Amino acid sequence: MLSEEERKEIEAEAGQYDRKEAGSVEALKVVQRHRGWVSDEAIRDISAALDMTPDELDAVATFYSFIFRREVGRNLILVCDSVACYVMGYQGVLDSIKEKLGIDLGGTTEDRRFTLLPISCLGQCDKAPAIMINEDIYGNLGPEMLDSILSRYK
Amino acid sequence: MADVKVTIDGREIEAPEGTNLIDAAQMGGIHIPNLCYLKGMKGIGACRLCLVDVEGMKAPMIACNTKVKEGMKVNTKTPAILETRKFIIDLVLSMHPLDCMTCTKAGVCNLQEYAYEFEIKESNFTRKKFGHPVDAGNPFIKRDPDYCVLCGRCVRVCKEQGTNVLDFMGRGVGAKVTTAIDKPLQESGCTFCGSCLDACPVNSIIEADRWRKGREWDYQSTNSACLLCGNGCDVTVSTRDGRVAKVNAGGKEGSVADYICAYGRFGFDCIESDSRLTVPMKRVEGGLKETTWEDAVGIAADVLGRAGKDAGFLSTASITNEEAIVLKNFATKVVKSNNLDTTLSLYSDEDSMRLSGTGDLDAADVIILAGLNPSQRKRVLPALDAALRRRVQRGGKLVVINSGDARIAEAATVSIRADEVSSIKSLIKALVDKGLKADKGITEAVSGAEAASAEIAKAAELIAAAKEVLVLSSPALFNAANNLALMKGKAIAVPLESNARGVAFAGFENGGLGYADMASNAATKALFVMGEVPVKARPKTDFLIVASSHLSGLAKEADLVLPSATFFETTGTILDYLGRMKSLPRIVEPQGEAKDNVQILMAVASEMGQKMKRPTESEIKKAMKPGRPSARPFDRKSYSVNEQDLVESINAAVINGSRLLWLKETEKGVSA
Repeated sequence: MLSEEERKEIEAEAGQYDRKEAGSVEALKVVQRHRGWVSDEAIRDISAALDMTPDELDAVATFYSFIFRREVGRNLILVCDSVACYVMGYQGVLDSIKEKLGIDLGGTTEDRRFTLLPISCLGQCDKAPAIMINEDIYGNLGPEMLDSILSRYK
Repeated sequence: MADVKVTIDGREIEAPEGTNLIDAAQMGGIHIPNLCYLKGMKGIGACRLCLVDVEGMKAPMIACNTKVKEGMKVNTKTPAILETRKFIIDLVLSMHPLDCMTCTKAGVCNLQEYAYEFEIKESNFTRKKFGHPVDAGNPFIKRDPDYCVLCGRCVRVCKEQGTNVLDFMGRGVGAKVTTAIDKPLQESGCTFCGSCLDACPVNSIIEADRWRKGREWDYQSTNSACLLCGNGCDVTVSTRDGRVAKVNAGGKEGSVADYICAYGRFGFDCIESDSRLTVPMKRVEGGLKETTWEDAVGIAADVLGRAGKDAGFLSTASITNEEAIVLKNFATKVVKSNNLDTTLSLYSDEDSMRLSGTGDLDAADVIILAGLNPSQRKRVLPALDAALRRRVQRGGKLVVINSGDARIAEAATVSIRADEVSSIKSLIKALVDKGLKADKGITEAVSGAEAASAEIAKAAELIAAAKEVLVLSSPALFNAANNLALMKGKAIAVPLESNARGVAFAGFENGGLGYADMASNAATKALFVMGEVPVKARPKTDFLIVASSHLSGLAKEADLVLPSATFFETTGTILDYLGRMKSLPRIVEPQGEAKDNVQILMAVASEMGQKMKRPTESEIKKAMKPGRPSARPFDRKSYSVNEQDLVESINAAVINGSRLLWLKETEKGVSA
């Protein structure tokens, strides 16, 4: 079931277009903002609210890497693996995060504190290697800097 | 539409304006390779295989989505184009299993054909294998995404016909065609019509039981029609060693009506089901015992001869014209009884059937649907439901007039949710006001009609602007629908059984006892029942004869059971709901000693000393000329039949004797 708040926000988004389904990406983002991810049940509920069939909405949801169809942790670490970061020490940073959190790419820590995902480019090539946690960017990284960075996220 | 002249590979071709290059080339006998194009549907350019060179264009164009233009010069086989095509096939093959030697689709696989043409034995790219799980959780359709070439044909047919359960999930090469939340088909709202497997160019979506049941070249294919409901769809039946192996939709390629439902596609199992009757049986000491045809025909002749005018005859309207005419003549001329009727009278009068016109769903640009509630999900006129939705997708306009909840209204251009007769009156009045001519009687009859609502006004505009109008109505509303069509278009009353129109022409209304009387309390001295007539308890009769292909509930109560041929075992013709005469050849021999109904009736007649002849096709055509409709009263006939129940009960033997039983049980489970 969509919450009252989610429903209102979705209707506001969908109301901007001639066809409700044009608001599908925004509607998915609304639910993800509230719950952190988009469950199967949410796909059914949102599609009903937008007069779409569930398969059409799921096709949209699965098309975008940052609409999460599986539960993710409270904080999201995105590690850039594009060329600039790759040559500037991406592997060391990644290995260090993996070791500290005990998870692989795509994994979530048991306490649901972190989810670790790759990203193609953060646009921070001049500060490579870079990562992004939630909305915060960190560049010119070395493995030794990670402890203090990670400790900021609970 | 005006013809446009184009030159393709040096050949001058004339094609109607708006034709795409693939279709235009085909008219000149040139095949442009493609994996994703489907005739009749808008090209989406997913496979990029149909790239062609158009003179004056910098880059190659996709032929499926490029329309012909006067003077256009197209080359489909330049070295650059051929190289590109080869590259694409090479890429597709890098993710496709190379097991053509055991693949069911070998011989009819488009990918195999193009790989052969371009001499690609093995892809030049690294082999990718996704290892997607196979969906084999139902007895109808198997989905194996590892064979999928992501052409999207299945996604598009499913969407266009309004079923809409398949879509692309994910992105890029990792994309996969599946249902919402990646559920098995039976949990996705799928109706198992199988349109997707007809559309699949490879081995990704295929009949679940096809493995080692033969490949296309092992089959003999015959065109026929399905007898299981009022749509009477075209089918293509493939047989191997005298047995039916599969049934496919057999409509004209690219037509909106090229669809069959799960009944038509998978119901054929019932031909060999356990409940199939293969020898005559008679009641001996309370039980049914096998007997010979000679004995059975003798008993039937004796009983019916003695009953004479007190005999009764009941049949379904899913019989061929030949069976209908022979049954009528047998009853009225041989036995000399006027007590005969069919299931047609449960939902229509004969006049509405006889006065209905002929129609073409592809040609009509405005279709009015009055009082009809077609449904793929309930399998009540499912092909009509699919065809109407397709027609709307391809630019047709649909006006739904229904006082109740009709799901098809969701696809309508205009939906008028009000009393059908008064809505039609208002609509006619609005058309008269627009200057369309109407019969004087009709103009008078609608003079007092309510002023047009916004919807009715919109519908009137559509009709006034239309080139070809088709008014499809329930038989109960035919008279009003007919009056509307007299102004513009044609009116057709859509029945629930495949040959209702043919049966109406044979003429079963003879002033004797009707269906309801014979099926329950009116005593007959002998009652002859043909087919799966939906009568639950044994009717009041001294002697019950049932001619049926399966041991139906009524057959179990009979005193004499005559095993008859089922569909695909009978030869004959039907007049479908759109007024088209369709031929049904005998595709397989009847099981055991079963005979077709015409043979049975002729044998009994001969035993009674009368010769009967099988009507010829020209006799049938002469007998079945649609009448010239004139103005009719604005009335509404009343029938109490539940459409879904009727379709399910006349097909009880098909459903219970095939894998459709699984579907019924599953659907019951889902709705519970």
